[in-house]
Amino acid sequence: MTSAPLARPDPPTASELYVVLDSDDRLSYVSVGLQDELGGWVGHVLWDHLPGAREIYGPGFEEARSTGQAVERVVFYAGRAKRLTAIPAPDGLAVHIERIAALDVRTLGTLAQSLARIAEALGAREPAQPDLPARASLRALP
Amino acid sequence: MAGTVQAPFVVLDEEYTIVEVGPSAEGGFGPLAGQNLWACFPGSASLFRPYYDKAWRTGEPQEFVQFYRGYVTRVQAETQGDRLKVSWKELHTIDALTVTTLSESLARTIELIEDEQADVLRQEVRASLRLIRGEA
Repeated sequence: MTSAPLARPDPPTASELYVVLDSDDRLSYVSVGLQDELGGWVGHVLWDHLPGAREIYGPGFEEARSTGQAVERVVFYAGRAKRLTAIPAPDGLAVHIERIAALDVRTLGTLAQSLARIAEALGAREPAQPDLPARASLRALP
Repeated sequence: MAGTVQAPFVVLDEEYTIVEVGPSAEGGFGPLAGQNLWACFPGSASLFRPYYDKAWRTGEPQEFVQFYRGYVTRVQAETQGDRLKVSWKELHTIDALTVTTLSESLARTIELIEDEQADVLRQEVRASLRLIRGEA
């Protein structure tokens, strides 16, 4: 007897992966798509959980806050290239996360291939301006 | 001998079934006793089996450095009758926290990998690293 393949939920989209930070970089909200990973961090300062990330993520967040404009950056942290979009709003800074490419360390071959994908992603560091009106809600780390 | 830490090892039969697990390997391999090595570690056969087969074929101990699942490991394979004892030492673990730690870690990995196949991959990795660091 063969069993029917299990239905898998679609992976979360970028719009479902976001957190909201207060002015001290404390997590005030974690979207459903990130609850398993970051849900326990609400109320905590983000940097306390992500060693070395402040130097990578922080400048974009500060730029968004100081300019009042959305700031989009492609960064590498913890084995992944990701696009972060920081959107300032009255109730905090929404940070949307789009996971672009992950390091695959299974073999030297997969490592080399995944590095190439990451290099390509990081090479495209000049994204189009985000569509601000369409991102009215607070949404955009791991 | 008191104070001596024995290298982790597993013992395999001719079908590559894990038949014994050394004390230092219990954490990772203990639950795998009785199972086929290649089934437990997908994608590893092409990396390790040629050396193990050679050890079976020649009766000579084999020693090599291999990369798998983010670890660079020095492996020794030695026949003991109808068993193959495989022991290993971890030389390096990939650190992918930041571009800086990854670059340093990959440079160390490349140093440690020795075989011919790795030459091509070394070049690919170096080219990608240059791009990632913005040096291209």
